[in-house]
Amino acid sequence: MKGFDPVTLATPFFIITVILEIVLARFGALKAQYETKDTAVSLTMGLVSSVAGLLTAGASFAAAMWIYQHRLFTIPMTAIWAWILVFLLEDMTYYWFHRLSHERRFWWAAHVNHHSSQHYNLSTALRQTWTGGLAGTWALWLPLSLIGFPPAMVLIQKGVSLVYQYWIHTEAIRRLPRPIEAVFNTPSHHRVHHARNPRYLDRNYAGILIIWDRMFGTFQPELDEEACRYGLVHNLGTFNIVRVAFHEWIGMAQDIARQPRHILGWLFGAPGWTPDGSRDTSAKLKAEWAARQAATESEREAA
Amino acid sequence: MTRRRGRGQVPRVNSAYLIQLAVSAVAVGLMIGLAAWATRGRGAPPLDEATARRWLADEFPGREVESLWIATDGLGALAKSGDRALILTRVGDGYAARQIDWSKALAARAQDGRVRIALADVTAPKAVLALGVWPPKELAA
Ligand SMILES: [Zn+2]
Ligand SMILES: [Zn+2]
Repeated sequence: MKGFDPVTLATPFFIITVILEIVLARFGALKAQYETKDTAVSLTMGLVSSVAGLLTAGASFAAAMWIYQHRLFTIPMTAIWAWILVFLLEDMTYYWFHRLSHERRFWWAAHVNHHSSQHYNLSTALRQTWTGGLAGTWALWLPLSLIGFPPAMVLIQKGVSLVYQYWIHTEAIRRLPRPIEAVFNTPSHHRVHHARNPRYLDRNYAGILIIWDRMFGTFQPELDEEACRYGLVHNLGTFNIVRVAFHEWIGMAQDIARQPRHILGWLFGAPGWTPDGSRDTSAKLKAEWAARQAATESEREAA
Repeated sequence: MTRRRGRGQVPRVNSAYLIQLAVSAVAVGLMIGLAAWATRGRGAPPLDEATARRWLADEFPGREVESLWIATDGLGALAKSGDRALILTRVGDGYAARQIDWSKALAARAQDGRVRIALADVTAPKAVLALGVWPPKELAA
């Protein structure tokens, strides 16, 4: 398994399927919406992200190797039970990484890039951050090496997860059979994750298995009566790639410079947090939405 | 997309990696070109009043639109809602929405029929709207 990297192996598959989705959608054979500048930004983010990832991959792998030398158990890479275990534990780690990346601004600053398209197609999957290494979330996977999973094994499983999550970025697949929707992250579940409708915000953090969202209370099914509107709460007004890649870091720095005594809130508050509550957090948007729902509901009852 | 990682070793930038990267870059160019071809002539139509009102209702739920001005080129709109100005600007085939104080929107000046409004936002620094005469005569102080 020397040099085995699922992402590298899958790259030709990524390219071929994006081409197919564009061409088939053009001839009306499947549902997909592309916009040229949006696609250009997504793909450029992906390409540069793969290079940016190299800069920190060495350091994070070295850290995992160091931790592994102090491991609690020695888990063989050749055992099937070990792969089942790493699959489950890595997927749960991904869930918490992803949840943290949405709920705290410092990590959102790196993850926001993946969500900034108003479109949802296979190219959106490749819209990846350039600053993930900087955000330091790779440290969340270190406990797996402390338990005793070889770092290479963890790395392979992370790659498998990334490749799995590629194909779910599509509107071409509506719903899969019930048992699959019950257990796995699917295009339908992940559309909800990319939606900016208040009731869909901060839901479905799953990597491969949706069971974690069901277990930890963040699951939201896609509803026929509420179509997903994609992107950010406040969508980007520019395709300038530098602004696209770094806007939340810049915004955070500006906030800290203006009100340094609130530095902890600016860094680790929920995205949209302000000392005076003047901006929108997803909790605020959800509450306002629920209040509007309740108002319409009671109006209907009164009528 | 292109990453080289070995078992128990840090990633290496070698000629194989650079070739992969170059091939990926060419593929990216190809996919962008294909998207341009596939969407040719299928861009969003100029913004009309009904579409603008629908966007405003989605973006600013519960806010009443008192007055609405649609850009003559159909690339955006500006609405007055109490002491706030609600602004739509075209991005791709969608819109970005922002709100600022109405007094700031009113203070903006038109040049060659275009009003430049600073939005003080990293992700949407300014709106340039073809609103013709600004501020509108009925509202000018
Ligand atoms: Zn996310
Ligand atoms: Zn996604």
